[in-house]
Amino acid sequence: MQTDMGPDLDEQVVASYLYAARYEYSQAVLNNDNQLRVFPRDGEGQEALPHELWTEPACRVLPYADRFGNAVKRVRVVEHHTRLVVATAGRVRLSARAPSVTAASLEAARDAPERLEYASATVLVDPAPLTELAAELVGDAAELSEAVRAVTDWVHGNIRYLRGTTDTSTTAAQVLEAGEGVCQDMAHLSLGILRAGGLPCRYASGLLTDQVGETHAWVEFLHPQAGWLASDPTRGIMLPPASDYVKLGVGLDYTDVWPIHGTFLSKGAAAHLAAIADVRFGEHQFGMADALALLADAHVVPR
Amino acid sequence: MVMRTIGEGGLSEWRDDHGRLHPHYAGVASALEQLGPEVLAERWQAGRRQVARDGFTFYLDPREYRTTPIDMLPRVIPAEHWARISAGVAQRLRAINQFVGALYGDGQDVVPNDVVYSCDYYLPEAEGFRPPRDVWVHIYGIDLVHMGDGQYYILEDNLRVPSGITYQMKTVEIAARQLPEFAEGYNIAPYDVRQTYLDLFRSVAPDAGPDGPVAVILTDGKFGSAFFEHRYLSDLLGAPLVEGSDLYVGHDGRVYARTVDGDVAVDVVYRRIQDLEIFVPGLRDAYFNGKVTLINSVGAEVSDDKLVFLWVPEMIRRYLGEEPILEQAPSHNLLDPEERRYAHEHLEQLVIKSRRGYGGIGVYVMPDLGEETHAQVRALILSKPDEFIAQETLDFSTHVVYDEEAEQLEPRYVDLRVFAVQDGEGRVTVFPGGLTRVARAGSRVTNNSSGGLCKPTWVLT
Repeated sequence: MQTDMGPDLDEQVVASYLYAARYEYSQAVLNNDNQLRVFPRDGEGQEALPHELWTEPACRVLPYADRFGNAVKRVRVVEHHTRLVVATAGRVRLSARAPSVTAASLEAARDAPERLEYASATVLVDPAPLTELAAELVGDAAELSEAVRAVTDWVHGNIRYLRGTTDTSTTAAQVLEAGEGVCQDMAHLSLGILRAGGLPCRYASGLLTDQVGETHAWVEFLHPQAGWLASDPTRGIMLPPASDYVKLGVGLDYTDVWPIHGTFLSKGAAAHLAAIADVRFGEHQFGMADALALLADAHVVPR
Repeated sequence: MVMRTIGEGGLSEWRDDHGRLHPHYAGVASALEQLGPEVLAERWQAGRRQVARDGFTFYLDPREYRTTPIDMLPRVIPAEHWARISAGVAQRLRAINQFVGALYGDGQDVVPNDVVYSCDYYLPEAEGFRPPRDVWVHIYGIDLVHMGDGQYYILEDNLRVPSGITYQMKTVEIAARQLPEFAEGYNIAPYDVRQTYLDLFRSVAPDAGPDGPVAVILTDGKFGSAFFEHRYLSDLLGAPLVEGSDLYVGHDGRVYARTVDGDVAVDVVYRRIQDLEIFVPGLRDAYFNGKVTLINSVGAEVSDDKLVFLWVPEMIRRYLGEEPILEQAPSHNLLDPEERRYAHEHLEQLVIKSRRGYGGIGVYVMPDLGEETHAQVRALILSKPDEFIAQETLDFSTHVVYDEEAEQLEPRYVDLRVFAVQDGEGRVTVFPGGLTRVARAGSRVTNNSSGGLCKPTWVLT
């Protein structure tokens, strides 16, 4: 059993996480209706253990699954409020072993029926303008992993990590143009290049283990035998072990996995969001008090 | 399904496949003949003047005064067609009402939770609430198209604030005034919207005294698209027309309307707006507390979701133990990978509808659209299949409109919006006729919001 020592390479590890977000409004909100996608997925090297959810004000929670199998909870607050806090904590069991994969031909990867959706254009990822780059990076690859590695390394090496110059509506083509961005942008650009090369792939969102921080994003590509496998262009890591993340959602792009997304009704327009997560290896009981303490120090960004 | 374009012999309600006039139009056709182009032109112009004089409007853009375009040549529905429509609409209304009751009551397993909970219109705060006499859907509008031989298919349900009943009435009224000759020899089924609505209000009001309930029409104001209807209903029903700021919730929890004669306690709010809480804070709670009745109930809008539509036949089987009387347009749930693939492969022949759309917004009739739009819609259904449904494009009926300048009849696609009322005594009234909406030339989209015409519609007895 691991405690606070970090993952053992031959073992499964348990990680405890806390995710918290706070919204503040200039005037009373009459109703606030949000879908939360901040719950661990089950499978693919991650086992979801029980979790808890708190909201302030309290409200009825409607659980369902979206078409990607992401666990969604809809929270609708109808009590008038000027502040909304959402916090969730739980545990996951993760595989600490880095996946090893056999060689697969690009043709086989492109032949998957999933290609129809997972290699098509989305709101934020249009492969069309990335065709040339894809030909260069994917075109000469002998097999699938090599192609994904080439894309991952290229994005990691050519896109500078910089906060504040992009937002949640920045497209893959814009990221390439700007040459900078955050994890979400690097994931989108990687998806765009892979899709331009005809390779089915998806956006993954979650928390990086063993640290305090914001949500992270990486990509998953579809291996004909092994299924969905991870590659992290922001960190420049191919096939990271499941224990690197608490995986919360997958989709075609960021717009499918917003951690918190919805609408509120208020005469006041301004709302600010602070969102932060704490993930530790081992068993740890997080509570609402921890969430509030964590939020007190969190970076504030406009919603 | 073979697509026929207008003018190439699509199903016409006016003439049969051999070019012969349908028998129930003999009287109308002979009146057309006898009146002749000159008189018809005068009457058509007079009709337009009356539309303008009576303020018969439907706004597409709130900044622009716009009269409702009408065509006075009537659509005639034979009695045996109507018997089937009427029974089918009533059946559907009862089933949907029971579904909504189960949804917020003891629970339901007809529509998957993944669908219901992801629907914006599902209101958890309505869970456990029972509206007066268990009526959630009081006033219902349903869009039908005629597929020939009296087979009418359902395109969609409207439960939020279905509008058009007075457009149905006013179009008939103006045509009858200007062209009484058309109706000679026809026995047209009567209906009484006023009495039906007043009976409805009385039957669902909370403890109204001997004088009956005080009802108000809550409007979004004179710039709303269907303001004509709000004003007309107010006059017809003797119910004051109020805006949100005219209402408030008193200390006793009741709803009051500010009037020139002082504040009046209100029993029934026939609301013609959506976001009640913005316009009248506390109104929803007053309703949940039984102090006032809202028509239609909040929460019922779930069944306006185009995805929930797919399960209505199952609601009819489950809650009524009956087979659906009316067919609905074959529809595809894009959340299902197989159906999504089908939609992708047959996109050219489908209609794609946004789950949340209404009034023709977010409707893509693919056969009528260009290649560029096809590519955009294809990308939409692949990237956001959870926000759309696909329906087979129906080759539904056309009727004719009279063009008094060209002195000829022109074919246009028509649909039929039928209105029904469910009261607290268990009665369902389906008003004979409905609002026939005429698409623009070459289009299949008939909603008033899309700029089509209205046509008087008669049901024969």
